[in-house]
Amino acid sequence: MAAGRAFVGIDAGSTAAKLVRFDGRRVVRSRMVPARDWHSLVGTVRPREAVCTTGYFRRKVPHHLTLTEISAARLGVARSFPDAEVIIDLGGQDTKVTDLRNLTLQMNDRCSAGTGAFLEQAARYFGMSVEGLSRMAERARDRVDINSTCSVFAQSEMISMLERGARREEVAAGLHHALARRIAELVPDAERIVAIGGVARNRSMLFALGAILGRRLRVPPEPQMVNALGAALHAVAHSSQS
Amino acid sequence: MGRRGRRKARVAGITALVPPELIYAAGWRPLDINNWIPGSDARPRSKLCAWTASWREAILGGELKLDALVVVAGGDCHNALADGQVAARNVGRTHYFFYPFDGDAGYMEGQLRALEGFLGEGLRGERAHDRAMRALEEVAAAKRLGLRLEALRSAGRADPGSTFDALISFSDLEGDPARFGGKVERLIDASRDFRGTEGPGVALIGVPPIYRDFHRACAEAGLRVVFDELPYEFLRLGGHDLRSLARSYSTYTFARPVEFRLGLLKRELSRRKVRGIIHYAQFTCHHLLEDGLLREELDLPMLTVQGDLPGRTPAQVRLRLEAFGELLGAGKGAI
Ligand code: SF4
Repeated sequence: MAAGRAFVGIDAGSTAAKLVRFDGRRVVRSRMVPARDWHSLVGTVRPREAVCTTGYFRRKVPHHLTLTEISAARLGVARSFPDAEVIIDLGGQDTKVTDLRNLTLQMNDRCSAGTGAFLEQAARYFGMSVEGLSRMAERARDRVDINSTCSVFAQSEMISMLERGARREEVAAGLHHALARRIAELVPDAERIVAIGGVARNRSMLFALGAILGRRLRVPPEPQMVNALGAALHAVAHSSQS
Repeated sequence: MGRRGRRKARVAGITALVPPELIYAAGWRPLDINNWIPGSDARPRSKLCAWTASWREAILGGELKLDALVVVAGGDCHNALADGQVAARNVGRTHYFFYPFDGDAGYMEGQLRALEGFLGEGLRGERAHDRAMRALEEVAAAKRLGLRLEALRSAGRADPGSTFDALISFSDLEGDPARFGGKVERLIDASRDFRGTEGPGVALIGVPPIYRDFHRACAEAGLRVVFDELPYEFLRLGGHDLRSLARSYSTYTFARPVEFRLGLLKRELSRRKVRGIIHYAQFTCHHLLEDGLLREELDLPMLTVQGDLPGRTPAQVRLRLEAFGELLGAGKGAI
C-alpha cells in the first residue's frame, strides 16, 4: 500500500450517495448527499486517491474499481464485527440478506413491501418523517396487526384501522412490525446478525425485527455508511495486492 | 423416411419433456412450445407463469400452429396443465401424458404405448419399423454428440452460452434429429477455437431461465456455468425400444420426488466440482417452495433467481449474479 495514500469509497445508491475517505488506518471523512448530487462527492476526490464505487449507480461514477453493494457490505461489516454471520442491509429501495457462513444471498427487490419505501409511504400519510413515525411507534403500548404483505393494501388496512378508532401510535408500531415480519422471512437463523443501511437507524424497526428473530441485532456506527466504507477497504486491499 | 418425408411430418407440440424418440419414431415432428419464448417479448394476459401463458396465447392466437398437442399432465405443474387445457381448444387433437411419481417403469411403458396409440403409428408394424429404428438411431446419435458437447463445456472447453442454447433444444431436436446432430457437431468443432472461461464453476438448477442472455450475464459476472440441470435431463434420457425408453424416462428427475432429484444433483455437482449453485425459478413456480430444501441438502452457496417475463436479464438479476461471483471469488481470497 502506498504510504500516505488515501482511499475513497463511494456508495452511489438509488436514494443517497455516500463517501468515505480512509487513510489506511481509519476513516478520515464521511459524507452523505441526495443521490442526484453524487457529482459533489466526486469533486472532493484528490489526484492519486484510489476510488472504489459501489451501489446501484456504481458504474456511472468515475472509479478505479467497482464492487457490488453486497460485497461492500461484507467488507464494511467485517471491520466492526469480524465474526458476523448474517448481514441485513436495510435499504430504501431493497433489502439484501447475506449469510456469510455459506455465502448465500436473498433479496427483496420485487416489491416495496419489504423495504424502507414501505415506511416512507406510511410516514407521508401521517405527514411526518420516517424518524417521526419511528418515534411515534416507540410510544405505543400495544400494536395493531397489519396483515397485508402488499404495501398498497397495507396502507388501506392502516387507514381503515385509524377510521375504526385505532391509536396512531399503535398503527405506527403495527407498520414497523409488518415490515419487520416481511424482512424476517429472508433471514436465516443465526446468532450474530448485523443490520446496516439507512433503515438500520430506525429504532422501532430494529426492535420489531429483533423481537421476531429472537435476537439482538448488532448495528455498526453509521450503518448507512458501511457500504462506502467497504468500498474504500476494497480499494486498500486491491492496492496492497497490486 | 427421407428428408422430404420428414418435412411433411405432422407437428406435435409438447408442453414439457415428452420422449422425442417416440414422436419421431411415430413419424411426427415434436415441437417444444417453450423454446421460442426467451427470444420473444411475449406479454401474455392473465398469466401466472409466463412460460405457459405465452404458449397458451400463441396457440389461441394462431401464431403457433400444431397438428396435435401433448400436455404433460403428470410430472409437470398445474399451471402447464391448466394452460394446456385452455390452449387445447385451438388444437385439433390433444393427449395428456403422465410420468410416474414413483418411477414405475411398467406404468411409464403404458404411457408410452398410449402416446404411440395417439400418434397413430409407433415402433410396431413392419412398414413403420424401419423408419422408427432410423429415427431412434438419429436421436441417439445426436444425444451422444450432445453429451460430448456438454462434457467439453463442463471442462471449460466450450462456450456455456451457445452450449446451453443447443442443449435446451434436445427436447425436440429442432424438428430434425439428423440436421440437429450436425449442428451440435459443428459446435464441437468450433470449441477447438474456444479460448476457455475463467471464474468459479457454477451449476444452474431448476427450470430454464426465461431470459435469453442469462448465460452471457453469468459469464459477465465472472461465473462459469458447468452444469445445466434440465438440459442434462434431455440428454441423459433415451432408449432404443419402448422398454428401454420406459426404463430411462421413468427416472426423469423433475417428475420424481425431490429426494430422487437431489441424488442425481449431488452426484453431478460433485463430479463437476461445482463451487456454487444458481437456482432459477419463475416467481409463481412451485419449485420455489423447494428452495429451502435444496439449500439444506446441497450444502453449497446458492443464489436464487426469480424470473417473470421473457426478455433480457434485468439489472437487478445481473446485480445478484455479479455479487454472487464476487462472493464465490471471495471464498478463495480474491477480495
Ligand atoms: S416454470 Fe414452474 S410454474 Fe412455470 S411451467 Fe415450469 S414448473 Fe410450471
